[in-house]
Amino acid sequence: MKRRITILSILLVLAVVLSACGGTATTEVPAETTAAPTEPTEKTEEPTEAPTETEEVPSGEVVLPRKETMYFNGQQWGSVVCWNPYSSSCNNAMTIAQQDNARVLMFETPYLYNMLDGQVYPLLADGDFAWDEGRTQITFKIKPAAHWSDGTPVTAEDVAYTWATHVKYDTATGASNKAYIADIVAEDAQTVVIKAVLGENGQALNPLLVQSYLSSNYVIQKAWTQKLEARVGEDSAALLTDPADDVVWSGPYTKFYTDDTKVILIRDENYWGQDASMWGKLPIPKYLGHMIYKDNAAGTTAFKAGEVDVSQQFIANVQDLWLKEGLPVSTYLPEAPYHIGASLPTAFFNLGSYGLDQLAVRKAIAIAVDYDTIIANAMTNQSATFDQVPRSLMNPTPGEQALYDHDAVKDLQFAGKDIEGAKKLLDDAGIVDTDGDGWREFEGQNLHYVATAPNGWSDWQAAIEVVAAAGKEIGIDITTNYPEWAVYQTIVTNWPLPEKDFDIFMMWSDGAGPTQPWSRIRHLMSSEFAETTNNWNGNWGGYKNADADALIQAIPSMTDEAALKEAYTELVRIYLTDIPSFTLMYRPQSFHTVNESVWTNFPHEGDGTVPPVPPLDLMDGWSVAGLYNVTLVNP
Amino acid sequence: MKGYRKYFLNKLLWLFITLIFAFVLNFFLPRLMPGDPVAAIVGRLAQGMSDTTGMKAVYERYAELFGVDKPMIQQFFIYVRNVLKGDFGLSFSQFPRPVADILSSSIMWTIGLQFPAIIVGWVIGNVLGAVAAYSRKGWDKVIMPVSIFVSNIPAFGMAVILLAIFAVDLKWFPTSGGYGYDLIPNLSWQFVKSVFVHYQLPFWSIVLVAIGGQAIGMRSMSIYELNADYVKYARFMGIKDRTIIKYVFRNAMLPQITGLALSIGTMVGGALIAEIIFSYPGLGYTLLNGVMGQDYPLISASTLIITIMVLLANFIIEIVYGLIDPRIKAAQAE
Repeated sequence: MKRRITILSILLVLAVVLSACGGTATTEVPAETTAAPTEPTEKTEEPTEAPTETEEVPSGEVVLPRKETMYFNGQQWGSVVCWNPYSSSCNNAMTIAQQDNARVLMFETPYLYNMLDGQVYPLLADGDFAWDEGRTQITFKIKPAAHWSDGTPVTAEDVAYTWATHVKYDTATGASNKAYIADIVAEDAQTVVIKAVLGENGQALNPLLVQSYLSSNYVIQKAWTQKLEARVGEDSAALLTDPADDVVWSGPYTKFYTDDTKVILIRDENYWGQDASMWGKLPIPKYLGHMIYKDNAAGTTAFKAGEVDVSQQFIANVQDLWLKEGLPVSTYLPEAPYHIGASLPTAFFNLGSYGLDQLAVRKAIAIAVDYDTIIANAMTNQSATFDQVPRSLMNPTPGEQALYDHDAVKDLQFAGKDIEGAKKLLDDAGIVDTDGDGWREFEGQNLHYVATAPNGWSDWQAAIEVVAAAGKEIGIDITTNYPEWAVYQTIVTNWPLPEKDFDIFMMWSDGAGPTQPWSRIRHLMSSEFAETTNNWNGNWGGYKNADADALIQAIPSMTDEAALKEAYTELVRIYLTDIPSFTLMYRPQSFHTVNESVWTNFPHEGDGTVPPVPPLDLMDGWSVAGLYNVTLVNP
Repeated sequence: MKGYRKYFLNKLLWLFITLIFAFVLNFFLPRLMPGDPVAAIVGRLAQGMSDTTGMKAVYERYAELFGVDKPMIQQFFIYVRNVLKGDFGLSFSQFPRPVADILSSSIMWTIGLQFPAIIVGWVIGNVLGAVAAYSRKGWDKVIMPVSIFVSNIPAFGMAVILLAIFAVDLKWFPTSGGYGYDLIPNLSWQFVKSVFVHYQLPFWSIVLVAIGGQAIGMRSMSIYELNADYVKYARFMGIKDRTIIKYVFRNAMLPQITGLALSIGTMVGGALIAEIIFSYPGLGYTLLNGVMGQDYPLISASTLIITIMVLLANFIIEIVYGLIDPRIKAAQAE
């Protein structure tokens, strides 16, 4: 018996050692596969033949030809959970993302938002939408050519029924829009009317949010929705948890294969958009693939190896990829900051903390921070500096920058690292160190704060360290603390904040979108969110200013551009005067870094596209147009 | 045999009691962590939306759906009832995916990676340790320092070294994934080969680290046994070296077998390091995300499986010990 075990063990060891050697012998295999894929048997062109069950081996191609497949990273983390466009928790990053720049590969919105020019362009819609005279409702038409994957036409009734379903089942979309949209009705097969909730003046309460619905939310087929409702017995929870493997779509791609390691979409050869009234052709890549990498490092390694074409991950010192490593890699802008900044990662002051209700303390900390170090270290210069784009409430896009009067708020600007200025400010306010322990006191109590960011969010953590260092230089003791995100978000979104540990904390602000910069300003300053619970909106520090509230409320209904500019300028003035929070850097909407080993002609600054295709990974809003422009490096 | 039956029943009873306690702890401990997983789900929904003022209602609906608004003790009994029906509920971190689906899709990857790696590491390590102990001079001078060196490389260090040398520099192996990034699973030679090639680096990153530790342990045990009185006595008696070595290694193996059983019991926890560095599919990273995202149902289900496997492995080892080692049987039966 023992001898047999010994022999077996030796055999096992031998087998493994030999197999490992065998592995080295076949080293060239993966590379060969990519370079010269075995000619696949042509898959039946009917896309509905694609498997309806995930993790099932699809018929047809089993090796995706590299020259017909475009690979992405940085979007899909973890496995796809479902294909249900009513649910916002399918973790299906490429196909279900109803947001300002909605992803329109499988499901489509009436309009596409373009963050570069701030305009919306029709997708399912035919022509521009129009407000009525009294600004109470929007009318738009559906393109006659638009049809579903089952061949039936997309109608106004589908748009209306989608909205009715959102409201009936209280989906996230319904819950967040019903305060502004009264109803969506189909006037005829092609004509949709969106009736706004009216304010006291008899006009739409918030025209901006009503309009943004058109480019943020999908149109879902009525017939399929009814089938879903029948299946779940009209139960709200069941409707939102249905995996929707049988869903009907209108977009250019659909699911081909998913498992715990990847998501593959396949082009729908019957896509309506090849009609002359839309794109006039099909998107170029037949397959879109996204491997599920477990961290940024793995995704970047694959990107460098040419296994990923479009990366949406932060790559530290991205310029090294082409300058030092000589890879065919590029970003939207050829020089720093390499990307178009869109959102403003912001440090919020907890205005309930001791001493932080004092403007002098807040301002001293804000002007003492070394922002250039933050931008150089945390963002490796992939952010514009505050010398290049002075701080305001606007992101660095030209559209938003033009919305306020730069000169009017020039005297309120600060570029940081103003230690002497900060010290003087505190001295003048009488906030000095009287007991000689090195820390200033306010009304007899030392100023001691904890600055915090979620653990593992390395760029935010690096930024917060710089904030803490600034405090020490001006006699305010700031230490850092990094709780796990699960804990962090629970605390930050529920007022009151704890008495310590959350005095200065990082949170995001809105990126680019059809309601911006209004929505970002509202989320940064509006008192409607101050001191609330379940607050996923903003103003987490509890700031209140009646003048700001009045302007924020007025802007959505403003149509006069001069008045609008004046209002925005005033809001910037209030923000830079009160400093309830302060922006630490600019961050792009997507990092959009491309490896042109296989595909080329990606969006770049000055690429000549009209309207310009934004650098948003070829699927968000108008950036989907990029999928029709790409070409092969070696056809 | 009567003594053995008593020993067996005694062990079985303790197994059952431990299981009950572990089950209760598995349920309550994750729920004692600070933080609110439902808020995390709602937070994910809210991101990127133009207006999120309606999120409070959404939060309340999800809290009701998951039952986290009920008292903890009531949640526990609901959980017990569901588990007895084989229903582990819906995951929080991958909502609305059922926990059973998450486990079933990743557990085979984990077992496929861990089980052979543990066995191979254990066998090679013990053989090397025994050889070192027996030969003393030449081999030992090499095996000991190398084992100590290798076993002290942290697992992530080993994985990163292998990745950098064999995947990034030499390009002999792929950098990530369970199979080719351009493949769809199918029963072809090409796919099998791809799985095999992708398997190597994660596999060896675990095995190499395991070998060193096992070798050191086995060497110490063997040297101890080799100097035991019974060995000297056997030598005086003129018994052949081969026969003596059999006795020696049989005794030296006992603690190593316990270690093996524990490793196999805990292997479902996943090879976290290898999974992360090579983006290899498996349960380890899923579980880590579950813990980070306070995915109670997923944590409870995974820890329950791990608990059961460790208990079973221990139980089997103790039963086998009772059979093969009369000293233990005698001691336990008293």
